[in-house]
Amino acid sequence: MNLPILPTTVVGSYSMPGWLERLKTEYFARRISRHDLDEVHDAVTKAAIKDEEAAGLDIITDGELRRDNMIDYFVEKLPGVQIDRSSKKFYYDFYDSEVVGKLPAASLGLVEDFRFLKSFTEREAKVCVTGPHSLVKRIRNKHYPSEAAFAADIARVMNLELKELVKVGARYIQIDEPYYSGFPEDLDWGVEVLNTLVDGVEAKTAVHICYGNRYGKPSWEGSYRYLFPRILKAKVKQLTLEFARRGGEDLDLFREFAPPFELGVGVIDVKTQAVETPDVVAERIRKALEVMPAEKLFILPDCGCFHLPRAVAFAKLRAMVEGTRQVRKELGS
Amino acid sequence: MILYVNHTRRDAAAATANEVVATVLSLLEEGHLEPSQFARLRIDLDWVQYKQNFREAVMVTRESSEGAGRASVMELHIDSRQVAAGSLRESLQCAFSSLNPENQCEPARTYLEEFRSFRSSIAWDFNRLYWHRLKDWEQASGKSYEAALPGGKSEAHDPGAIADSVADFWTLLKDLEGQSQLPPELFILEIGVGMGTRAGLWLDRFRALDQKRGTNFYPRVRFLLGDYSQATLDRSRPALREHLDLCSFIVLDALDPIKTLSFLRHKILHIHLTNVYDNLPDEELVRRDGRIYWLQVRAYLSAADAARISSECGVANQELPKIINRLLEIGPECLADRALGVTFWQEVWKAVRLEERLVDADSLPSSSYPEGLDASNLENMLRDAPSDLRFHLSTGALESFRNTLPLLHPRGYLQVQDIFVTNLGDYRMGFHGPGKLDGSIVNWVNGVLLREVAERFGYDLHFAPFHYRPGSRASVLYTTRRE
Repeated sequence: MNLPILPTTVVGSYSMPGWLERLKTEYFARRISRHDLDEVHDAVTKAAIKDEEAAGLDIITDGELRRDNMIDYFVEKLPGVQIDRSSKKFYYDFYDSEVVGKLPAASLGLVEDFRFLKSFTEREAKVCVTGPHSLVKRIRNKHYPSEAAFAADIARVMNLELKELVKVGARYIQIDEPYYSGFPEDLDWGVEVLNTLVDGVEAKTAVHICYGNRYGKPSWEGSYRYLFPRILKAKVKQLTLEFARRGGEDLDLFREFAPPFELGVGVIDVKTQAVETPDVVAERIRKALEVMPAEKLFILPDCGCFHLPRAVAFAKLRAMVEGTRQVRKELGS
Repeated sequence: MILYVNHTRRDAAAATANEVVATVLSLLEEGHLEPSQFARLRIDLDWVQYKQNFREAVMVTRESSEGAGRASVMELHIDSRQVAAGSLRESLQCAFSSLNPENQCEPARTYLEEFRSFRSSIAWDFNRLYWHRLKDWEQASGKSYEAALPGGKSEAHDPGAIADSVADFWTLLKDLEGQSQLPPELFILEIGVGMGTRAGLWLDRFRALDQKRGTNFYPRVRFLLGDYSQATLDRSRPALREHLDLCSFIVLDALDPIKTLSFLRHKILHIHLTNVYDNLPDEELVRRDGRIYWLQVRAYLSAADAARISSECGVANQELPKIINRLLEIGPECLADRALGVTFWQEVWKAVRLEERLVDADSLPSSSYPEGLDASNLENMLRDAPSDLRFHLSTGALESFRNTLPLLHPRGYLQVQDIFVTNLGDYRMGFHGPGKLDGSIVNWVNGVLLREVAERFGYDLHFAPFHYRPGSRASVLYTTRRE
């Protein structure tokens, strides 16, 4: 499928309904079965797919509503990671988990998720995975000599899964690494691990780096300057960054360093329920166009829409699509 | 009948409890009370520590309508402190006779509103008037509002508490600096500024510590003082005269700070409030026999008080509700003689009482819950609570809390010095408001509920006893980021 110029997409997650939060928590309290919860997840994933289509996105995701949070979905699937299942009170809490031996290779179940997504949409589809650097920050390491070694092994296991995804047709794969912003001192090995993860993965790979979205609020503050020039060694095709909430000052870094990547520019602030107008979105895109040609720009929210009420998330995505259309028109596209 | 003794005052609990049981049984034998009413009667024996409050010595609280197929709830609340020797029998007999509308024993009350949730009661209009016209009240009473506080002064100014607060903040800044994450401007917000004394002392102390350690943080501080009264902000300026270059005085509603300060979202490193939450609109819920009830109130003046005020202030009795509404709209100028208007205000406030009734929560829309709270929060909170419980929702505190958190920097923290209930069982061990404090309202704050709600917003709440003044009942709430 040919994408228009300035393709629109989401960072990954769609709005998590309050009733689904309660059901997920009920599951952890053993009041509903895994089977029932899986059925609920299927239904809500279809709804998210249709909402993303109705909003007019060019590349869609499954909304990530099967995931309790960005960490645990992978922690549960990584073979060799031990989990204390009683450590969750609320579904969104992180598991208490640890690794005590070398990770064996095994399926992570992302292929099934992608097939499910593709069976309900004709649009381009994107798979988002939490990156090794973020995962090692939440799993207690009792085996590997260092966080870097642990992350490298996670990358080795996940690399196989990404290649399987490509085999079944995945063309857009996004790696989420928000913890870079909290631990900038890790960036050298973080990028090495990222390169292991995407090695030989024949898809458009992106790395999403934000300042956190836990509970719908930032976990850190600062400037993306810490990324440069070290991030230039990353062998991904695209950087996806947040600019709507933080303002566009850091766009100048793209002028200063002229990175080889495409830029996924965040134009929707997901940490406020105030809905942007298409005009505001268009203005943010124009600002990005000052440092990056349209052919290398993708349009996204700052981060996942997980914490926004459904009506707000949908309205924001509609505004994003409409604002993008305005700019396309100006570009004669 | 079940008798709950909610206090252990040696001088009142045993004697009143004995007298209540003996009197109710004799009233039953004499036919003043139906056996079916006796069977479902619940009596709560309280000690209302606030000299001025909204209670009669004996008050009846009933369910607003009969529950389908079940006996409705009926409660008597007795304030041991107010019960005068030898008056209990008459008060109880009067309370039981009030169950029959055709058999009232006291002259008609002057009602100031219809039944409603306490958060929207006229009582809060009096509270608002007090803060807006504080000067008038203080002039008439001859003492400042701080002098009217228990202990005669505010705990906000305690030098030890301020020193610790400054040290904590300095440590945070040093930590951020070490991680190269120190913002160029260091925003601090205090909501509810009083006379500005605390803010002034805090900045004095911070400047001294900063100079002593040579960190040069002080010039980067941006200290915001927020209050909903411009008059209060103006009064606070002299206390901050040495730091005015760093201070901004901002009129804001404590219920919704983010509305005024949205440009500082995720920017403020430290937010402090002292005795603000206990003075924000509130309401109560009651759990009885597994059912949840909303408590509704109706403000009134007793016939005796209405007659007295009418005579003393030269206002016709039947005109009282109208003149009181005017008082709440325009202040003491509601009467031609302004000084008399202040007297009228103070006398009415002293006399205002609240009738209560219970309304089954299932009969009300779910939107009755304050924003930020839902049935599942409540369910979680009550899971381990005593089965029979009357507790505060702390609606205003909750609203303020959730509308303040978005202002916090990712490493920022909120500190609230106030009177908190941190264990739901405590609601059965004493009276927690509402009481009257001079011209304002005071309520204990439901810290358990705040903690439950905070978790969903990504914060853990902790309560530290205010150990700086022996015997203080205050605690300090502080937030830490939830991972």
